[in-house]
Amino acid sequence: MTVHVDLLTARQLAASSVATISLLAPGSRYSLRVGETDRDALSQALDLALPEKIGECSRRHNTEILCLGPDEWIVLSPESDAGTIAQACAAVYDAAPHSLTDISDREVTVLIEGPKAAELMTLGCPRDLEKLPNGQGRRTVFDGVSVILWRDGPQRFRLDVWRSFASHVISLLATGCGELALE
Amino acid sequence: MLLIHCPYCDETLPEAEFAYAGEAHIVRPDNPADVSDEEWRDFLFIRNNLKGPHYERWRHIHGCGRFFNAVRNTVTDRFLTTYRAGERRPDPESLPEDGQ
Amino acid sequence: MSRFRVAGRGRVQQDRPVCFTFDGQTIEGCAGDTVASALLANGRHLMGRSFKYHRPRGPVTAGTEEPNALIGTRRGEGQFEPNTRATAQEIWNGLDTTSQNKYPSLSFDVGALNDSLYMLFSAGFYYKTFMWPRSFWDKVYEPFIRAAAGLGVSPSEPDPDHYASRYLHTDVLVVGGGPAGLAAAKSAAEAGLRVALVDENSEMGGTLLSEPQAEIDGNAAWDWLAEELATLDALGVRIMTRTTAIGYYHQNMVGLCQKLTDHLETPDPDMPRERLWRVRAQQVILAQGGLEKPLVFHGNDRPGVMLAGSAQTYLNRYGVKVGDRPVIVTSHDSAWHAAFDLADAGADVQAIVDTRANPRADFITGAEKRNIEVLAGHTVTGTRGRLRIKAVRINSVADGKVGAARTLTCDCLLMSGGWTPSLHLFSHTKGTLRWDDESQTFLPDRKAEACQIAGAGRGLWGIETALNDGAAMGAAAAEELGHSVKATARSVQNDRTGSGVTHTELPTDRNPSRTKAFVDFQNDVMAKDLRLAVREGMRSIEHVKRYTTNGMATDQGKMSNMNGLNIAADALGKPQPQVGLTTFRPPYTPTTFGAFVGYHKGDHFDVTRKTPIDGWAEENGAVFEPVSLWRRARYFPQPGEDMDAAVSRECRATRKSLGMFDASTLGKIEVVGPDAVEFMNRMYTNPWTKLAPGRTRYGLLLGDDGFIRDDGVIGRLTEDRFHITTTTGGAARVLNMMEDYLQTEWPDLKVWLTSTTEQWATIALNGPNARNLLSPFVEGLDISDGAFPHMSIAECTVAGYPARLFRVSFTGELGFEVNVPARHGRALWETLFEAGQQFDICPYGTETMHVLRAEKGFIIVGQDTDGTVTPYDAGQGWAVGKKKRDFVGMRALQRPDLTAKNRKQLVGLLTEDSRTKLEEGAQIVLDPNQSKPMRMVGHVTSSYHSDAAGRPIALALVEGGHNRMGETVHIPMPDTVVKATVTGTTFYDPDNERLKL
Repeated sequence: MTVHVDLLTARQLAASSVATISLLAPGSRYSLRVGETDRDALSQALDLALPEKIGECSRRHNTEILCLGPDEWIVLSPESDAGTIAQACAAVYDAAPHSLTDISDREVTVLIEGPKAAELMTLGCPRDLEKLPNGQGRRTVFDGVSVILWRDGPQRFRLDVWRSFASHVISLLATGCGELALE
Repeated sequence: MLLIHCPYCDETLPEAEFAYAGEAHIVRPDNPADVSDEEWRDFLFIRNNLKGPHYERWRHIHGCGRFFNAVRNTVTDRFLTTYRAGERRPDPESLPEDGQ
Repeated sequence: MSRFRVAGRGRVQQDRPVCFTFDGQTIEGCAGDTVASALLANGRHLMGRSFKYHRPRGPVTAGTEEPNALIGTRRGEGQFEPNTRATAQEIWNGLDTTSQNKYPSLSFDVGALNDSLYMLFSAGFYYKTFMWPRSFWDKVYEPFIRAAAGLGVSPSEPDPDHYASRYLHTDVLVVGGGPAGLAAAKSAAEAGLRVALVDENSEMGGTLLSEPQAEIDGNAAWDWLAEELATLDALGVRIMTRTTAIGYYHQNMVGLCQKLTDHLETPDPDMPRERLWRVRAQQVILAQGGLEKPLVFHGNDRPGVMLAGSAQTYLNRYGVKVGDRPVIVTSHDSAWHAAFDLADAGADVQAIVDTRANPRADFITGAEKRNIEVLAGHTVTGTRGRLRIKAVRINSVADGKVGAARTLTCDCLLMSGGWTPSLHLFSHTKGTLRWDDESQTFLPDRKAEACQIAGAGRGLWGIETALNDGAAMGAAAAEELGHSVKATARSVQNDRTGSGVTHTELPTDRNPSRTKAFVDFQNDVMAKDLRLAVREGMRSIEHVKRYTTNGMATDQGKMSNMNGLNIAADALGKPQPQVGLTTFRPPYTPTTFGAFVGYHKGDHFDVTRKTPIDGWAEENGAVFEPVSLWRRARYFPQPGEDMDAAVSRECRATRKSLGMFDASTLGKIEVVGPDAVEFMNRMYTNPWTKLAPGRTRYGLLLGDDGFIRDDGVIGRLTEDRFHITTTTGGAARVLNMMEDYLQTEWPDLKVWLTSTTEQWATIALNGPNARNLLSPFVEGLDISDGAFPHMSIAECTVAGYPARLFRVSFTGELGFEVNVPARHGRALWETLFEAGQQFDICPYGTETMHVLRAEKGFIIVGQDTDGTVTPYDAGQGWAVGKKKRDFVGMRALQRPDLTAKNRKQLVGLLTEDSRTKLEEGAQIVLDPNQSKPMRMVGHVTSSYHSDAAGRPIALALVEGGHNRMGETVHIPMPDTVVKATVTGTTFYDPDNERLKL
């Protein structure tokens, strides 16, 4: 049975000479859904373009928007900005109908970095991560679990995973952290 | 494990990200009350189960989440093409022999 | 030094002795030895007994294709592996190995009696011997088959090792690190591609390891090899030894099994034993080389009979002379080189028997120079020696006639029937094969995957040819990927190319129906078995294979397939391609379960989902149960309580005052958009248009076949926003189904779905004191009955946390469900539990929840329904919108079979003795006295002891049940027949008075 870890305290979860795994403090996370015709209205409301290509990110200050599907984005920001985002979207709802749903607590974010971070991801991710450019993200699968994976740098990844699946994913990452250090 | 080209993501990706979703181009009647019991039965249960190029649906469930259509040769297990939901069914003659 | 070690020869480190045990005896070998090479160095050929006849056997090969020398290895506590090939297992100090299939000892075995009874065990003996009498099955045949079945002994202890897996994406994967593979890898790497080069051996080099005499561009083979590997490393090629390509799957996915610790004396305990690689390559280059074929003759399985090429490998790679007085029998040039190498290393080669009348002149000269007798145009017709060959019987053959016999003494017999390409991986891809008449073998023909085949794998023999073909194939792969590279040409001196002829069974003067000429050593299949199979009507090679078991052993016919085919084709009088080749299937060599399991064992076996409140339940003694992937608290026993007692107490406490329940696992879907209500109308049976914001409704979801799929309470937060709840197990399925309709049937609707299951922790408070507990914590909302009646929803704060509050009841008591962001779930739970002490608050689990809802007749989808139950069957016709134009499942409800009178319908059952609790799943009959098999009219779906009703209650699906109220039905059990009365499904508070608080 999965050994569950405390998901409430941001901290380092595992470390070796080749990678570290950390749980990040929660921020605000919205799922934004809008059709093509109303996309620009939302970009204007948020003062940040919704990227059109799946996997691309746009960033301004502390807000980051990742395109996950043809009508789906994830909007990350500090918690202090969550209200502003909600209000900005609500203001254009009638003209540009959309769905903005708070999922800040649905997922937790794990940071994977270190000299073998990219190789560590190959323990569970069937994608060719060499084809994931820095600065982009994708929804994909890690050891059978749906995750959103950002590549922040050649050897730096963020992984969003639903809370109840997080311990399973973290356990494999921690195992790999030690295993890769032996090579 | 197959590789599947998602027509929304425009990437060719491992099957592990996808889920099969049955035969394609089975249209739910606009007004089900107008169709006969036999037509409704066929809509629900009757499938082609073809040997050869098979029009079928997949969902990029661990990805963009979209349902899309594909033609897969059930003999060679090769995808001949994939296309977005709602697009016209590709002509069998226009498809490559075995997807190579 | 061991008796048969040749000083200064081979790649083993002769100055580093290594000791291991074989059947308890300490054996000394050298670092770099395999178990087989170390035993051979000590003059020991006998390593095992065969599967069926328990005949003494020794190694016939020097590699993983070995059919005979299978051993058990014990590396430590629990680390036992049967059927390890002694020819592949590397030795280390302390390795414990044992022989197999022998009792009481390897040199004296009672099972060898089977050998003299071989007539009983001929082809198809399973089908013939065990036919009659019928009564013999249980007592005689089955115990015999079970005792005889299987190779080696299964490990009985838990495996303490751990296993790993990884994905690898590469431009080019080269399988096989011989000359062709090395050259291919270099070409591809020079083109700037990502290249992985794998080989199952402990070191790269393939044939080069056995042929140090070759000179490549003027460099000695082994010097060249070392330099080439350094160059490849510098080019960034990923070089993986001890790594077997076990399967070649669709679209260039190749499975690799990498052995990491079996060769180590003291592996790091954190190091995985094996790692399974799932490789996706743009191009695969198969450079697996070829396999030498044995010759088929009487007594060809005696210890000491070995492939000539393998003897050459033992000599040149391991520095081991496999005998002092070898005899060579061959139909191919290559064995002559083995003979000469052995002679040059000091062996007294007794004779070279070539089945061909006119061997090459330079060979004759070479033999004369070494004083070796040459017997051209001869055959071998038998061998002698109990546990090791002592003599070989040789006859001349002229014009098809076998002449007089003479006997040569020897201590080993080295045979070669020529070479065949290793086609296994290519065959996994369903690539087609072509029969090559000249070489009398199958060659790869039409490719089904993006691959190239290089060197011996496509019938090209010799090191120079392999190097140049490999380089060309590497360049070809690069070109396929849009890279251009010039293949380097190499020239090789002292290369050993040659040719040969193919035989079925060698000519003999014996009665062919009595010869023991083995084709499949591991499964003990003889040439006469194959001929018998043909005589008994088998025509396809696939039938011959299954009838005789030829090629079905763990070596998958690496030694036996071609000889088997040739003999069957000959017996059928048909050319080989018309008889066909059997299909090779993954894995290429036997692979541990551990490698396939990878990380998925122990704590990591599968995902266990836990709610944010799970930790509290664990600390407070909950007993858990799995519900889909979740684990949920089932009940909270107090000291001395069993489940029934705990559940009774929890039910009583909840109905009397207050219970609290973790409902966080409920599926939740947020439906948002201007068309949200239209979408709800189409998906659910119920009408939603008139549901006001702030109100909730029980929703029933069908499939388009009309059967119940899911249910749950759904709240309308605003005009455009609904909060759906689904069953715990149905959450993902329901969202998938909704997305399907939305994306593909109704893409015009402006509405979007978001899973919020894990956004919220959900705490259900039920009981007359639920509001009394909750009120003080709620801000921004009046939750009095007037302001917030049953079936309401609102946003507010609870104990300072932002919350979505439902007034809802799945127990029949006054109830609330508080949803707060997941991170606050446990804190809120603890706050409410603390404050609830004044009301004797009782945490309860899923079992109590089940009882409380059953008392009210609320269904559990998947328990009281089974995918064939309509709303009407379940007594929920009230939830079906009669005036709706359409909803999913509406049309199907009109189909004649769904409106039939006698459908199974959900009813209550009360046992007539008021004491007996029915078994869930028990079958129901109308007449208990009818003859068997009885006609079953339904089954019990839910059954509990009800504290509130003071008796057991049950729900059941019964044919025509709604019209059987008050009737008696019968539930036959193993020891008795229980009578029960059909009732309605509500056992408690039928007028819902308890909700009106």
